[in-house]
Order: sequence, then C-alpha cells, then structure tokens
Amino acid sequence: MSLRHLSNDEITRLESQGCWAEDWRQVHVSADFSPHRVQNSRFFGTVELGRFSADVELEPDILRPSGIYESTLQDCSIGDDVRIAAVGELVRYRVEDGVVLQQIGKLTVIGQTTFGNGTALDVVNEGGGRSLLIFDRLSAQLAYCLVHYRHDAEFIQRLEAMIREYCAAKRSARGIIGCNARIEGCAVLENLVVGPYAEIRGAAELCDGTLASNEADPVRIGAGVVARNFIVQSGSHIGDGVLLYHCFLGQGVRLGKQFSAEHSAFFANCEGFHGEAVSVLAGPYTVTHHKSTLLIAAHFSFFNAGSNSNQSNHMYKLGPLHQGLFERGSKSGSGSYLLWPCRIGAFTVVMGKHTANFDSSDLPFSYIDVQDGKSFITPAMNLFTVGTKRDSAKWPSRDRRRDLDKRDRIHFDLFNPFVLGRVLRGMDLLDKLAETTPSEQEVVKHKGLYIKRLLLKTCRKFYEIAVQVSIGQMLVDKLEASHTLSWFALKRELATESAIGKGEWIDVCGLLVPKVKMEELLCEIRSGAIPDLEQLDSRFDAWYNGCSIDCWAWLVGLIEKRLERTWDQIEIQHLEKLVQEWRDQGIKLNNLILHDAEKEFDVDSRIGYGIDGDGEIADGDFTAVRGSLAENSFICQLQEENRKIIERAESLLKRLQSLSQ
Amino acid sequence: MTMDDVRTRVKSVIAHVLKADSALIADEANFIFDLGADSMQSLELVAAFEEEFGIEMDEDKALEVQTVNEAVEFISGYLRKKQ
Repeated sequence: MSLRHLSNDEITRLESQGCWAEDWRQVHVSADFSPHRVQNSRFFGTVELGRFSADVELEPDILRPSGIYESTLQDCSIGDDVRIAAVGELVRYRVEDGVVLQQIGKLTVIGQTTFGNGTALDVVNEGGGRSLLIFDRLSAQLAYCLVHYRHDAEFIQRLEAMIREYCAAKRSARGIIGCNARIEGCAVLENLVVGPYAEIRGAAELCDGTLASNEADPVRIGAGVVARNFIVQSGSHIGDGVLLYHCFLGQGVRLGKQFSAEHSAFFANCEGFHGEAVSVLAGPYTVTHHKSTLLIAAHFSFFNAGSNSNQSNHMYKLGPLHQGLFERGSKSGSGSYLLWPCRIGAFTVVMGKHTANFDSSDLPFSYIDVQDGKSFITPAMNLFTVGTKRDSAKWPSRDRRRDLDKRDRIHFDLFNPFVLGRVLRGMDLLDKLAETTPSEQEVVKHKGLYIKRLLLKTCRKFYEIAVQVSIGQMLVDKLEASHTLSWFALKRELATESAIGKGEWIDVCGLLVPKVKMEELLCEIRSGAIPDLEQLDSRFDAWYNGCSIDCWAWLVGLIEKRLERTWDQIEIQHLEKLVQEWRDQGIKLNNLILHDAEKEFDVDSRIGYGIDGDGEIADGDFTAVRGSLAENSFICQLQEENRKIIERAESLLKRLQSLSQ
Repeated sequence: MTMDDVRTRVKSVIAHVLKADSALIADEANFIFDLGADSMQSLELVAAFEEEFGIEMDEDKALEVQTVNEAVEFISGYLRKKQ
C-alpha cells in the first residue's frame, strides 16, 4: 500500500469529526484515502489507514460503511474497506482488507509473543514428561511422535528444536487480523492472530492464541468462549461458553455446550460437548457428547465416549501420573469407569466400572465388562456388531475438513494391517491359552483380564472370519482392477517387490504405516537427514500415499505365510480358494451383523412403545417411529452387500478359471 | 444319542452358563426373553454346546437359534452328521 501523510485539510476534517491523534504526522494514509469515514476515534503511535469506500454486509441486507468509528488505535496498519466500530483498544495489529471489528473491549498485542505457538501441553500424562509443543501446522502424526517416542531423547530433542525454530519465526510484537475476518461483541482479545475469514462473535476472552483460518475452511468462535494459550486450525468451530486452557484444536473440530479442556490436543473431526478433557491426546474422530463425561490422561482415536464415563489417573500416591491408551475405534459405555493405567485394544467396547489395570491390545474387537467385580473380556465380540460396521462406514463421510492442506493423514479402513496384525496376535494368544488351560478351569487370566475358557476357541474362530474376509477383500479389489487375460501376467502384476510392508504395522494417530518406516524416520531425524518440519511433513505424506503399496506387500506376506509357499509357488486354485473363503466368510460375517441388527426390532426393543395401548398399538407405534426390519436401510444395505459378494465372487472365479496358463 | 439325551444335556449346559436351575428350563424357553441371556452369554452357550457335544457349529446359524427346542434340533442335526 502506497502511503502518504495527511493533508492539513484532512486533519481539520478529522478533528471536526471528533478524531484526535497523539501526533498526526504519525498517521499515514493510502493515496486514495478520504477522511469522511473516520469519526470519533483516537490514534496513538504510528497508524496506517487504507481506503474506506465500500460498504460492509454485516448480515444479509444489513449494510454498514467501512471506516473507523468510536475506536482507539495504537501502532496499527489498517487495510482497505475495513470497518472498525466501537473498539476500545486496538493495539499493535495489522488489519487486512475487508475485516470487520465491532464492539470489542480490547484487541491488543502486549510485548513480544508467539501467539500460542510453542505452548507446551502436558498430554497423556498429567504429571508431565510428554510435553507436546503446539504450533499452527502441527499434525496428529507429529504429535504422536512427540508424545509417545520419549524413549528416544535425541529424536525428541531434534523434533522440538525444529518446532522451536518454527515458533521463533512467529515471534512478533504485532498481530495480524487476516482479510475478511469478522470479530464482533468480544471482551478481551490479547496476543491473538486471526487468520483470513475467521469469525469471532461474542467471545469472552481469547489470549495467546492463533486461529489458523482460511477462506476454504474458516474458523468460528462463538459466545462466551474463553481460551488461553491455544492453537485452532482451519474449519474448527468453538461456541457456547467453551473453556480452553493450553489446548490445540486441529482441523474440523467442534467444541461447544460448555465443554472444558486443559492441556489437551484434539485432532481432525473431534467433537466435544458438555464434558471435560484433561491431558488428553484426542486423535482423529474422538467424540464426547455428554455431561458428566471426563476424558483424562489418555490417548484416544476414533473414540466415542458414553455418557457419564470417566477414568482416574490418580491413586493418591505419587500424584496424577497414570495414563491410558484407547486404540482406534473403541468406546466407553455409559457409566463406565477405568482406573489408569490400562491399554484398550482397537475397536473394543468397555462397559462397567473397572478397578483392575489391564492391557487388551492383543485382543481387538472385544467387549470388556465387569462380572463379580472382575474385568472380563469377550474377544472378537465387537467384530459382528452393527455399531462397528456403521462406525467404519460413517467416518469417511463425516470428514468435514474443507482445507486442501489437510494436516492429519487419516486411513479409515476397518480391516487394515495394523488391526489385522493385532487380530493375528489375538488368534495366536487364544490358541496358546486354549492349549494350556485345563478343561476344568472356567476362566483364564491374561494381562489383567479374565477370559472364559469356553470362549477361547469360539472367539478365535471369529477372528479367523475377519482374517479371511480381509484377505479376500483386498485380493478381490486387486483382481477386479486387473484386466489381464493370462495367469502369468496376473501373477506378475500382483507380485510385490517391496518387503517393507510385510512386518508389524502401527497406527500413528490415524495414519497406518509399517513400523520399520517409523524406525527409519527416527534414524533420519537423529542424523539430521530430515532437518525441518517441511521435510518431515513430506515424509508423512509419502507414508500416506504409499500405504496401498505397503498394504499389498503385507497381504502378499500374509498369504505366503498362510499358504506356506512363496508368491512364485502360488497357483490359480489358491487364489480361487481365497475368493471362495471371502465369499463364504463375508456372507457369514454380514449375517452375524444382521443378526445383531435384528435385535433392534425384537420384543425387548419395543418396551415403552404404545404408551396407553395393547400389543397391537405398541407394534404400530414402534413401526411408526422406528420403521420395520424389512425396510431398515442398514439391513437392506447389508442384504444387498451379500448379494454383491456372491456376484463378485462368481464373476472373479469364472475369470480366474478362464485365464490362459 | 436320543433326542431326550440331547435335551437333558442342552438344559444342563444352559443351566451352567446362565446360572439357572435346569429343572425349571422349559422346552419352549427363549434364551434371551425367558432365560435372560445377553449377547455375550449367547456366544458362551454356543461354545459350551460345542464342547459338550464335541461338534463345531456354524456360528451365524448357531446364533440364530432362539429356544431350547431349536437348540436341541440344531445340535441333533450336527450329531446325525457326525455319526
């Protein structure tokens, strides 16, 4: 913006409009500045003013002139067509074009600040030791490394140095209000950076923070919000009296209804209403909607908290030092309680009040409940529940992030090498327990959990179904994508040269990756081969984009192991068998899920329907409200899925048989 | 094994798993509505029947079985195949 001094006539005009300046020579204006839209305002220090000619649409059909009215500015640079009205103190800000600032107590920068960048959060362990340095481009993957790889001090030091360097560049004595941002009806805003297109309406206090908003996915802050020492990434909305102290919000997060949080990080698409979070690393899709629900001192992801569920991290000994892990896809049932430390395996439901410390990570898809005061696990039970099937389908469709630069890399597949690796471990464990447990023994204990002996073989069979369905699904997808007519060419096409995916996989806060790649990353960070956050980001992107190749390598390895032959030794009939197993077990799994879904329509589900009537009225009421089994969309979809499985299998089997050898 | 033998043993298994008195278990009793089995106990019943009779049942079909009579019939089918 080309600037000039005010003319004497303009100063006279401004003074006649109730304006005052500490020194008019320090007020610089754009070449086409006109003073008529600057009224009853005071200017301290150096102030730069743009052109005020357009009107601003506050609400549909409510237009107000741009300009500066009844406000006090100090050391600010104001862009074109900005409206600043009734702002008590606007100090040390660059206000970009098209911004609206109205009815604000104070919006100030005090001293040098990094605007929340570099704030340390004590996540997972409330007692400290896992400090997460937050900044406006933090990803769930980097957070995972920082929080969970504390055993590698040099790795952590290098990562923290990169972040500190990035945050140092953010240090400034002047804040920015990005173009077209709107801030209205707020009390205290201090040391705040507001990105483009952000909306802040009625916030009570926002101090030391950054709203990394942009046009594609604006940030919205609503009434009564108090936030101190925080970062909010694009597309996140916070409202209704939320209280945040030392918090990070990733992209597409929703917090509202008086939710409160401290020392917590929420990544993509998390939701928090009513409840409380303390020292939480909330991976993607962590959701808590109810009052009296506390999430404390733990790592969650794809998690759903039941009402009145909570955990303790304090045993009144050395302090609040205990921590928990909920692996992806798990839930805490209503009224459930856990005494940390515990580790809950993937896709597991926890019910009841547990006072034992346990680890179920080798037994995913389980139900954990309490019987006679003891924690019991039913492995594989959650494989064939409606909830698991529905969750896995709904997550991708509920990705609300609109920002093209998605910070968190997320893999959604229900059956993936990480989860299936755990399933395979579970099968080995159940085999071992079945072999070593005498038949007169009713229960067996594993890592703090009791398992009924009778269930060992049955649950293992359910895991086997999952493995066969998963192998078949991945294979069928691959076969369907191939159009070759020769067995030799197909086999070559399906072969994998990479061994990278064949080992253990880990879930890096939503991103699935072979463990060996994480080990490589540790070395490269330590050696300085990856010197900055940009290159680290590129590495996470490469992991994300390379997942399908690694995943296929993992599958080939698994097929080789199960068939006890190398890929070169695989024949057409082996693939036929895998496709047949996929068909049979896929239908079986869906039928088990259908059976679970049908319970939603049984007699017990009708209790409370037809309030003043007989059975017929109850049935009518139930059908009117809930619909019928035959018409339920989920059930119809599953039945359709079964039909398609048969069709796809038949078509593939025919094709395999017709391949030239 | 006669159907009556199967019935007696089925009721004995149910009584053990659901902590009920086998004498009070009716032939028509529904596992869920009459005997109070939850989904985890249903699974346990399947496992217990398999162990009691030395058979391996089709899980999805087995979990569709609702009553004592149906269980007797279902298990007898497997026993016939076994013979």
